[in-house]
Amino acid sequence: MSDRPFSSLERVQTLFANDHYIADRALALTVKLAADLQKPILLEGEAGVGKTELAKVLARALDTPLIRLQCYEGLDASTALYEWNYARQILHIRMAEQDLTARAALESTIFDDRFLLNRPLLAAIRHPGPRPAVLLIDEVDRADEEFEAFLLEVLSDYQITVPEIGTFKATHPPYVVLTSNRTRELNDALKRRCLYLWVDYPTPEKEREIIRQRVPGIDAALADAVTLTMQGLRAVDFYKRPGIAEALDWSRALQGLGVLELSAEVLQETAGVVLKYREDVERLRALDANAILNGKPGQP
Amino acid sequence: MLASGEALREHTLRFCQVLREDGLPVTPARVIDALHALQHIDPTKEADFRLALRLNLASSREQEVLFEQAFERYFRQQADTRQLRSGIRGETMRGQLGHHYKSLDQQVEALPEAWGVTESGHHVDLSSRWDPDAPPLAQIIRELAKRLATRPSRRFQSGRQGERVDLRRSVRRNARHGFDLLDLSRAKRKQRRTRLVMLCDVSGSMDAFNPFLLQLMFGLQQALKSSRTLVFSTATTEITAALRRRTVNDTLREVAETVRHWSGGTDIGAAIGRLNRGVIREGAASATVAIIISDGYDNGVLERIASEMQALQRQVSKVVWINPMYGASTFKVRAAGMKAALPYVDHFLPAFDARSLRVLVRELALI
Repeated sequence: MSDRPFSSLERVQTLFANDHYIADRALALTVKLAADLQKPILLEGEAGVGKTELAKVLARALDTPLIRLQCYEGLDASTALYEWNYARQILHIRMAEQDLTARAALESTIFDDRFLLNRPLLAAIRHPGPRPAVLLIDEVDRADEEFEAFLLEVLSDYQITVPEIGTFKATHPPYVVLTSNRTRELNDALKRRCLYLWVDYPTPEKEREIIRQRVPGIDAALADAVTLTMQGLRAVDFYKRPGIAEALDWSRALQGLGVLELSAEVLQETAGVVLKYREDVERLRALDANAILNGKPGQP
Repeated sequence: MLASGEALREHTLRFCQVLREDGLPVTPARVIDALHALQHIDPTKEADFRLALRLNLASSREQEVLFEQAFERYFRQQADTRQLRSGIRGETMRGQLGHHYKSLDQQVEALPEAWGVTESGHHVDLSSRWDPDAPPLAQIIRELAKRLATRPSRRFQSGRQGERVDLRRSVRRNARHGFDLLDLSRAKRKQRRTRLVMLCDVSGSMDAFNPFLLQLMFGLQQALKSSRTLVFSTATTEITAALRRRTVNDTLREVAETVRHWSGGTDIGAAIGRLNRGVIREGAASATVAIIISDGYDNGVLERIASEMQALQRQVSKVVWINPMYGASTFKVRAAGMKAALPYVDHFLPAFDARSLRVLVRELALI
């Protein structure tokens, strides 16, 4: 394993661009520093701006497995770190009862590696290499605060202690990407260990480029129109403003429908692809669609 | 070329000090991390230098903004930025830094006045509206907080009783019986705290209840540290930070400083809208109890109240409306704003003094 997989910022950008991911300088530097310093990256931003995608692209760029932990409320150590395979353990006990020597050895064999189920965090720590895995801890704000405590040991020392066996220390510390939609503040101790980056909605130029890269064969004029409309939509205070994900979905939808030119009718008819709240769709109906298509909505 | 490594470090440390004064939690550990990061970048590129520092020193969107402002101030404002890059001796640099500091101080001193000029609202002396002789509400508020703010967690806690068998503990505990599962460990649900978001009407029509409101807001905020409190009249202001001060006097002074629309008109719809787009989205909404304290007299748009209330109710776990007028025996829902909001309120309760608050706690127990 090389300690520094990215020789320069530009190298990160090139590798990501090969995978159709447009990384601006800030993001590229974050990735490079995270690799150099062996620190996790904490990405915050609205839903659909490409936070999760970064981890996937990073794994592909480094040609290494992506281990994903999707967080949810109530996530605990047994689903995130490790769990014992109780069924097998009890089976083992029953079998050992037939045999006196096995019975004597039971204490030492019952908590053997064979009965250990590796959950995502332990799997990432125990990843045998040759290159470190990419560990994606997605939507960490959904997990409750107790869970962040588990993360601290993992993320600062890249080790996990299983009381019955001992401590597993990573031979190839994983690249860690944490994402948060910011539905709550994370613990300071956790934040301190990470490189923090707020991922904003892309600039029009970047968004146009992303659409062209990700939706092959899209008409250049349509890509421009979509970009402009997205700017217009984001200027309205909807409950959920559309992100890049919605822009891509919409572009694909328009392409699939064979639309070559955007109009107010097309926008209203396909609003469900970009706006995900009923109130927002209704709100759009009340607005001047042509102004939005021009990127400049007037607030009612 | 940038200044020698030492000068760069010196500047970074000074800059960290500035950030600390701006309220960023720049701990020594963070500073060390930042200095490490600097070794991995090309320090002649200003954007990279800036970002490498920011990644390590700021850890929220707000802190990023503060950082950017401080960075501009610290590095940009110096007339000798170019000199900094072309390399200067430590002695002269320290001299310039001293100068820089002075100008910064003057700037900071000048700021409040500048803000005062743009502030059109009036200043209310809240200390006169705090009644130090009022019966202490601490006990009753703690009870209220407990009632409002607990719910079963999805996490389990192992123990002797509980609805579920805790296999992990059971296997471990029965090692001494040769792994025959003789006594089972059980697990039950933990209690978990709910987040409170309080939206309190401080318009003119509520003036009579101010002493009680202040006590309630202060008490609940102290009892439940994670709760958020906003006050509204025609504008909406979050006063959570002010309510976290240790003494009532500090709090009153700070609230009076920040809220310039006290005793103004009322725009309930806008206030709830602000809640829906801001505070509610910044926390687990499904774990939130929203408390609105208002008499419902409104001079905003009524349709807006209904639509925003509907959106609020759909997001949070409960909407509680406390109406101080409701206690009066002649009470009828007359306020139009109140009528518009009522269909979307889970619990409509009276409270205007300590005694009615006690009744409220009892009623909440029945929910």
